[in-house]
Amino acid sequence: MNPSSRKKMWTAVVVSAALMTGAGACGGDGGGEAAGGDKVRITFAYWGSDARQKLTDQVIQKFEEKNPTIDVEGDFSNWDSYYEKIATKVAANDAPDVMSIEIRGLSEYAGRGALADLSGKVPAADLDQQVLTSGQIDGKQYAIPTGVNAFSMIANPSVLEKAKQKLPDDSSWTWDQWIGLAKDISGAGGVTGAEYNPNPAWLQIFAAQRGEKMYDGTKMGVSAETLKAWWSIHQRLIETKGSPDAAKSAEIGATGPEQSLLGTNAGAMGMWWSNQLNALSKSSGQELTLLRMPKAEGASTSGMFLQPAMFYTASAKSEHPAEAAKLIDFLVNDPDAAGILLSDRGLPTNAKVLAAVKDKLPPVDQKTLAFVDQVKSELSPIVAPPKGALQMEDILKRNTEELLFGKVTPDQAAQKFLAEANAAIAG
Amino acid sequence: MYASMSDSVSVTPERAPVAQPPPQPPGRRRRVRQVNVHRRREARTAYVFLAPWFIGLFVITVGPILASLYLSFTDYSLLEPATLVGLDNYDKMFTEDDRFLASLKVTTIYVVVSVPLQLAFALALALALDRGLRGLPFYRSVYYLPSLLGGSVAIAILWRKIFGTEGLVNSLLGLFGIEGTGWVSDPDTALGTLIILHVWTFGAPMVIFLAGLRQIPQSYYEAAAVDGASRIRQFWSITLPLLTPIIFFNLVLEVIKSFQSFTQSFIVSGGSGGPADSTLFYTLYLYLKGFKSYEMGYAAAMAWVLLLLIAGLTGVNFIASKYWVFYGDTK
Repeated sequence: MNPSSRKKMWTAVVVSAALMTGAGACGGDGGGEAAGGDKVRITFAYWGSDARQKLTDQVIQKFEEKNPTIDVEGDFSNWDSYYEKIATKVAANDAPDVMSIEIRGLSEYAGRGALADLSGKVPAADLDQQVLTSGQIDGKQYAIPTGVNAFSMIANPSVLEKAKQKLPDDSSWTWDQWIGLAKDISGAGGVTGAEYNPNPAWLQIFAAQRGEKMYDGTKMGVSAETLKAWWSIHQRLIETKGSPDAAKSAEIGATGPEQSLLGTNAGAMGMWWSNQLNALSKSSGQELTLLRMPKAEGASTSGMFLQPAMFYTASAKSEHPAEAAKLIDFLVNDPDAAGILLSDRGLPTNAKVLAAVKDKLPPVDQKTLAFVDQVKSELSPIVAPPKGALQMEDILKRNTEELLFGKVTPDQAAQKFLAEANAAIAG
Repeated sequence: MYASMSDSVSVTPERAPVAQPPPQPPGRRRRVRQVNVHRRREARTAYVFLAPWFIGLFVITVGPILASLYLSFTDYSLLEPATLVGLDNYDKMFTEDDRFLASLKVTTIYVVVSVPLQLAFALALALALDRGLRGLPFYRSVYYLPSLLGGSVAIAILWRKIFGTEGLVNSLLGLFGIEGTGWVSDPDTALGTLIILHVWTFGAPMVIFLAGLRQIPQSYYEAAAVDGASRIRQFWSITLPLLTPIIFFNLVLEVIKSFQSFTQSFIVSGGSGGPADSTLFYTLYLYLKGFKSYEMGYAAAMAWVLLLLIAGLTGVNFIASKYWVFYGDTK
């Protein structure tokens, strides 16, 4: 190698090294301010469908119009990978300034110091105060609810009619009546009466009807007796053919509203979050009805509750807490934001905002709103479940499956569930 | 990883053996020194060009591996800094965690059943294809295809459909009047569907078997035929013994690979390892611990146990190979 070619080589090395560092710098966040002069840049993380992404982009645009000094970068991912992404970013000290979190993840993130206290930073006077408290942990407002949902029974009246059955009086119906109705519908042939899903929300409602709390501090409040009674509903549904067998149910349970029995007009009733009425109505092409959950014999409360669809939270380590708070304020308190998002993140709980956008809501949402208003006085208050609640769905599903597939007895299942659930929320 | 290792081998500069310089006049010595300087420069150049690979090795591979070793001794939630807890994670794994043992059991069944089946299948097809078939390259490619697709998300989703209550399998069974179950959602059959999926990806070992079969001299068969050995006899006495090194190679590779299976169970079970933990692969449980339960320290410890486990099994494989693998050169 002669000197000149050596020189060339070193030049090449230096240039490529420079290119690599340059590329690296572009790839990173660059600290925020680098991009647009004195604009402050914050990131806003959320999960959801493509439709939500479009709406959120519009809302961000609107916010930037009103706050020209703030540049918001939407950080979108699908639900399956959302928490992994957020947790990894928090671990890397690169947490998004504003994060969407749902209620079961709240204690995990707040308790581990990842979230900022928003008390006094985000105006919350117009929000539903009872719902607002669900974003508090140890008296600190770590999270602002985006909107609410209720876990309820959704039925397809036309399917019921075809099976020569009538819509029940939902203000007084019991679980036994529900099972009986499901059996009769299936018996008429053609469709299945009901589909079930081992959703913790259902267990929570059922427990409340029996005077038990789902969580009691950092312990499970639900008793083994209640669990067994709850599982016997599943078992009786299967035995009477009111619902599909365990394998088929597990299969449907793994899919979303679009592939459910209700969504494909193959079933008459199912339990869903009220905001899923939209997707269910669309995929079935039918007019569906929201009903109260059936009650346990002699229950004094419906056990139903309003749950925030999700929360807006701010990172404890955000470099721009004021801007982050401003974005959250805009999202929950500004009618312009609600005018775009409508019920995408649950029905708004800000009374003023809701009044402003009420007429813009599509008919299905109006129906949900009417339903929520109707049952409002019967609702139980909601508190954020303890740390580890994110795993509850998995634990409940697994133990329910083991029982329904005959791997364990109800007693064993109840003991195992309580042991695993207690371990998850204690840790 | 294998690819990058072989890369490194191929780019390592070849060095000519350095000859001992005999006593020489001063003029020659200078030339030798110049040659040495030249060599050193060449080596330096080589390292510069190797640098990207070394950076990759240390930053992307060795660094994280060492970090995970450290993390395996900590309680690490991702959201808070890690705190050292000594051997707690390892202790918990073997004494308290039933799901860990369940996942180990599921994975072991999966490996023990699916690997031999897959290899037998691959060998059978390789033998069939070795018959001097017309259009061999075409068949070879067709049978290799599943190997390329097998680990993919798309196939896993397809699998869920095929083995669903209203899937292809049940439609076929329906023709014979048999009512099938939801194969992937029944804990008794779910793992079976994953084993079938694994066996189906027999292409890679098949291609290696094919190459191995080509290495066996035709003259052996001719001699055997002259002696009156039947086809079956020839297979047991010539083909199989001469193929044992290839079988061994495939066995080691597939055991390592299938212990690390993840995608299939992740997609087919919807990320839960269900129904009722019947498809809870080791790596899936590791992932659930790390990213769903926020026990990253525990997950790191699990990764190290898996590493030791695979290393141990591979070691056992190698020791056992002494007794059944036949290399032509040994007596």
